[in-house]
Amino acid sequence: MNHLASSQSTSSNASAQQAPINHHPDANMLVEYASGSLSWGLSIAVSAHLQLCQHCQQQHAKLSALGGSYLSDTPKEAVNDDAFSRLLDSIDKVSNPAQHKAAAHKAAPQNEQAIMHTMANAKKAGIKAEHLPRVVKKLLPPQLRWQKISNALKSARLITGQGEHEVAFHKISKGGKVVEHDHRGLEVTLVLEGSFSDEEGIYCPGDFLIKEPGQIHRPTASQNQDCLCLSVCEAPVKVTGLLGAFINPFLSIKPA
Amino acid sequence: MSTTTPLTAVKPGEQRTDTWSELLGRVGKIQDQKAFKQLFDHFAPLIKGFCLNNTNQSFGNDAAEEIVQEVMLKVWQKAPSYDPSKAAASTWIYTVMRNARIDMMRRNKRHQTDNSPIEVDDLWDEDSTTGPVVQFQRLRDEEVVQASFKILPNEQRQALTEVYMKGKSHSEVANETGLPLGTVKSRVRMGLQKLQAHIAGTAHAKVQA
Ligand SMILES: [Zn+2]
Repeated sequence: MNHLASSQSTSSNASAQQAPINHHPDANMLVEYASGSLSWGLSIAVSAHLQLCQHCQQQHAKLSALGGSYLSDTPKEAVNDDAFSRLLDSIDKVSNPAQHKAAAHKAAPQNEQAIMHTMANAKKAGIKAEHLPRVVKKLLPPQLRWQKISNALKSARLITGQGEHEVAFHKISKGGKVVEHDHRGLEVTLVLEGSFSDEEGIYCPGDFLIKEPGQIHRPTASQNQDCLCLSVCEAPVKVTGLLGAFINPFLSIKPA
Repeated sequence: MSTTTPLTAVKPGEQRTDTWSELLGRVGKIQDQKAFKQLFDHFAPLIKGFCLNNTNQSFGNDAAEEIVQEVMLKVWQKAPSYDPSKAAASTWIYTVMRNARIDMMRRNKRHQTDNSPIEVDDLWDEDSTTGPVVQFQRLRDEEVVQASFKILPNEQRQALTEVYMKGKSHSEVANETGLPLGTVKSRVRMGLQKLQAHIAGTAHAKVQA
């Protein structure tokens, strides 16, 4: 495998990441993401991971290169005679190049401004937004509404334009334990800030975890910092612990 | 680099990646329409061929023509962000085409609601890569990738073609072929590993040479 990422990450991106990323989407999920067959919700998690993980960026770039070479090797099919003139017409319609350039210049700062504004709001909501992957920044609503789920856990739903998965921030307060729960559907968790551990290991920013349906786990946040995660769930989870009858951390979360 | 190769001297079917990357770079920098026409003449029939042969849904001639229009318009619009040092033109155009295809599939999907703050280009965002330039892409040697793909065992190449090129999920392929899901998944994984090993071997040999 490629070790370029780990050896260069310190010099090129010193401020962003401390611990190396140990948990990645597997090759099958990455291929489905790269080809577009992976669901929108899960693709958000993979995309956000990719923006943090140089190792997976490289895997993904290789897939793109494979696609490029495959495209070059595809038998050609002649296009209609007027195809190019039609295209020029639409280019003219969209705008002439000079206007287009000016428009692009104008649009970019506005877009940045919107993101800055949202990030300021995120800060008020307790998120150090500048380290977030770009796609997650874009998902930040003007106002993040935290819902308390238990003493240690709160969540805020994100609107993502689909109803197949629940996409949300989860925040475990420092040292906090989440009620033991199992999963009726696939659940993907991407650590964004802080860290947490469960029976199987410790997870740091950038780590990408998949819990299959039926897997039980009980995350605990590290003592020194709240842990912020992006989670993508296929279906509501049910609580298996003693308190389960009273606290179901995710049942109140409806697909956005 | 083949920067000195006169464009007229390039024979069809023999073009080096660099020629197309150079042309695409010119489209991005100075909106060179002549360069764009050359790119169109080369890539439009490839895109159409790809769409007719590699899409999940049955795809008519008209739909393929529309995708060609959509992709090449995007190529024109996005060309200023193209960085030839990061990717070959064919790879970059492939990703533009891939995004157009995802967009199209998404429009036909029932789970979608219309209040999404993010779009296809946000989720498949080639500009947001933060890492060092991928060593592999710097080679720009598509023939290596092509050759590696061709020497894969038949079943692995086929699995990759279905899952990656045609954009089917592993379970769709399992259903269609009657193979167990695990078998489809492992064929894809093993195919990718072999590709990687072969490409790494070739890159190594080049450095040594
Ligand atoms: Zn990764």
